[in-house]
Amino acid sequence: MENLHLFGAALGLGMIVIGAGLAIGKFAAAAAESIARQPSAADKITGAVNLPLFLLEGATILAEVFVLLIVFS
Amino acid sequence: MQQPEAHSEHGTEHGAAHGEEGFNAGEVIIDHVANSSPDHPILHLPSIAGVDLSISKHVLMLWIVATIVFTAITWTTRRYLKQKRPIPTGFMIAIEWLVQAVRDSIVRPNVGEKYVRTWAPLILTFFCFIVVANGIGLIPIFEVVGLIDHYVLHTGDHSFIKRVIHGGTTATANYNVTAALAVITFFAIIIAGTKAHGFIQHWKNLVPSGLPKFVYVILIPIELMGMIVKPFALTMRLAANMMGGHIAILAILSFVFLFYELFQSAIVGMGVGVALSIPLAVGISTLEILVIVVQAYVFTLLTAVFIGMAINVHH
Repeated sequence: MENLHLFGAALGLGMIVIGAGLAIGKFAAAAAESIARQPSAADKITGAVNLPLFLLEGATILAEVFVLLIVFS
Repeated sequence: MQQPEAHSEHGTEHGAAHGEEGFNAGEVIIDHVANSSPDHPILHLPSIAGVDLSISKHVLMLWIVATIVFTAITWTTRRYLKQKRPIPTGFMIAIEWLVQAVRDSIVRPNVGEKYVRTWAPLILTFFCFIVVANGIGLIPIFEVVGLIDHYVLHTGDHSFIKRVIHGGTTATANYNVTAALAVITFFAIIIAGTKAHGFIQHWKNLVPSGLPKFVYVILIPIELMGMIVKPFALTMRLAANMMGGHIAILAILSFVFLFYELFQSAIVGMGVGVALSIPLAVGISTLEILVIVVQAYVFTLLTAVFIGMAINVHH
């Protein structure tokens, strides 16, 4: 029973990946659709997608760090 | 990586738990990623005013990075300025392209036309430093020195070379390093707001004006917390990304030794290495080349965005 925290960490990691994967998928889908609709604005669309993508990545990485803290402590 | 003293803080508890002299993947990985312990730095220096000035492996890497960036860029730029006809050649073309790209695609859209020349140097310094610091961790120079030492020189366990070869790590994988970088961002945001609007007005700009009073009770603590959270997120993102790449590569490479121990045969270990570990590690290393540039870009982009938010207040 003393290894239950590893179970929680594994569950948490899986959920982080699910969430981040869904979010990145939505970003990519929306960007691809809008570029297909207006190919001339591809640069602007990429720029607009970049920043929230990095913020999302930051949140994901934070969650992963906390999972790592559970494993290593 | 086999120096047991270097990871005494982690080593003792792991060693006590297992009680055997097997290969411990977690210990090796932590030893590679973490800074050298305060008791065994590379070079002992006295502490001044309670600050320990000893050179640990991350400090060594920071000095190396600073030297590389400083000499490469000042030397090239000086040589370029001494030319009779100002036509950039060689490395100067790369520097010029970098300066122009960072200024035009990161600083100008976010900070605004008026303050480009004020903040582009800071952003560029961040970018060059982070790219080199990230990239130098991928180049295994010190491991090569370690191999030569192991097979040719045979120095003792506690020799200077043995301590130096633990230095081949990414300094930006240390939370303290990225926290220092983020503290610069923190103050840059305040200075940018102060320069643009004056000291009092900058703090007033944190919250939109003309709202009902009770909204401010909620809004002011949130905005003050946001001031701290922005640099904290920068810190964590850079350090965790760098550390994550190293941990992934090392974990995959340690399959070789784990399988060797599991089956007690070198053939199985080498087979797993050739079939699984090395292709995967090559793939992840390639991904890391992308990640080091992207992370430097993200850090500088977010710094520029935060500085721009303090300057161009929308409400």
